[in-house]
Amino acid sequence: MRTDDLIARLSTGLVPVKRVTPPMLAALGWLALALAVVSVGVAIAGFRHDIEQRLMLMHEQVNLAAALLTGTAAAIAAFHLALPDRSNRWALLPLPFAVFWISGLGWGCVTEFVEQGWPALGTSFSCMSFIMGFGVPLTLAMLWMTRHAAPIRPAPVAALAGLAAAAIASIGLSLSHHLDAAAMVLIWHGGSVLLVMLLSQRWGARAMCALGP
Amino acid sequence: MTATTDARATQEVRWGGLLAAAQGGDARAYDTLLREVTPRIRSLCRNRLRDTAEVEDAVQDTLLTLHALRHTYDPERPFGPWITTIATRRAIDRLRRHGRAGGRESNIDDLPEIAAAVAPVAEERLAARNLRDAVAQLPESQRTALRLAKLEDLSLVEASARSGLSVGALKVATHRAMQTLRRRFGASE
Repeated sequence: MRTDDLIARLSTGLVPVKRVTPPMLAALGWLALALAVVSVGVAIAGFRHDIEQRLMLMHEQVNLAAALLTGTAAAIAAFHLALPDRSNRWALLPLPFAVFWISGLGWGCVTEFVEQGWPALGTSFSCMSFIMGFGVPLTLAMLWMTRHAAPIRPAPVAALAGLAAAAIASIGLSLSHHLDAAAMVLIWHGGSVLLVMLLSQRWGARAMCALGP
Repeated sequence: MTATTDARATQEVRWGGLLAAAQGGDARAYDTLLREVTPRIRSLCRNRLRDTAEVEDAVQDTLLTLHALRHTYDPERPFGPWITTIATRRAIDRLRRHGRAGGRESNIDDLPEIAAAVAPVAEERLAARNLRDAVAQLPESQRTALRLAKLEDLSLVEASARSGLSVGALKVATHRAMQTLRRRFGASE
């Protein structure tokens, strides 16, 4: 087909379109949804029995704040990056918060090791199922909201969506699940967040296409 | 330089306005926009692709993506980066899809040194075969004269002694053989 013919075909019968929601507004909408969903999850699972003492601990406060900041920054970055005219550098926005979060957990591992020796490591698939259980649907919600990124940069947007969703889910997990050893938190929270992010990066483009035009 | 930049900025403002109108369903504005922006898209694709047909395919891919993503344009923001990202993305997709055949990578058969090394060998073999066939179709006397006088490079006297033909007959036979071959291969006299 000639380019002139294609142009004529595209212009013929043009229908009005609704502009996408501005990225900050869309990010706030998604964050409100995510926090509401995770709150319901925590309400169903119940707070951990020592929640009051935990919330008094400085490192726990820093951990929760860092996870919230990482999730918020990743959501804002994803909605910006989904638009063609935004810089690729938006992808770097959550990086400092994520580094702060992971390094905080890493530092907790070191201090625990100095004080108590090698921690008892074990499996905690309940952590993984909580983060996956809430992270995957919230990721899908964001992939639907950013599906216009599919023809432009699906993989980085999907990775950020996974990071945002899993980070917010991790907050809910910290409030409901009894897991004290920083090494365990790092392995099971951090590992699950990474898993959701990688899965989303790998399959996000297909999900965006499947979720509609 | 500044004048060019200003003209470009003015043009992009116009295009942004046309797309904003198109978002509202103005088909005429949309048609104008697509026709005016196509040369810019073509230029952006040419930065990444070499083959003309590939460039045109990338231009059409870009127009289709522009159409699908027209709701993502914010009229408050510049039009240039928006269309640049879409066109560059489609050109890169073409490059990846066609790999060896398109873009900055070259088809190995198109490389001059490869063509020089391979094509003449094939052509020479074909020409030699045609020549052998043509020589085989010559009358016996002409074939013998040609072999002795031209291929074995004997003097007329030696060729005469070897073939039993007179020097005059050899001259005539050689001349006629050469004429036949020239006619056959289209060479001028």
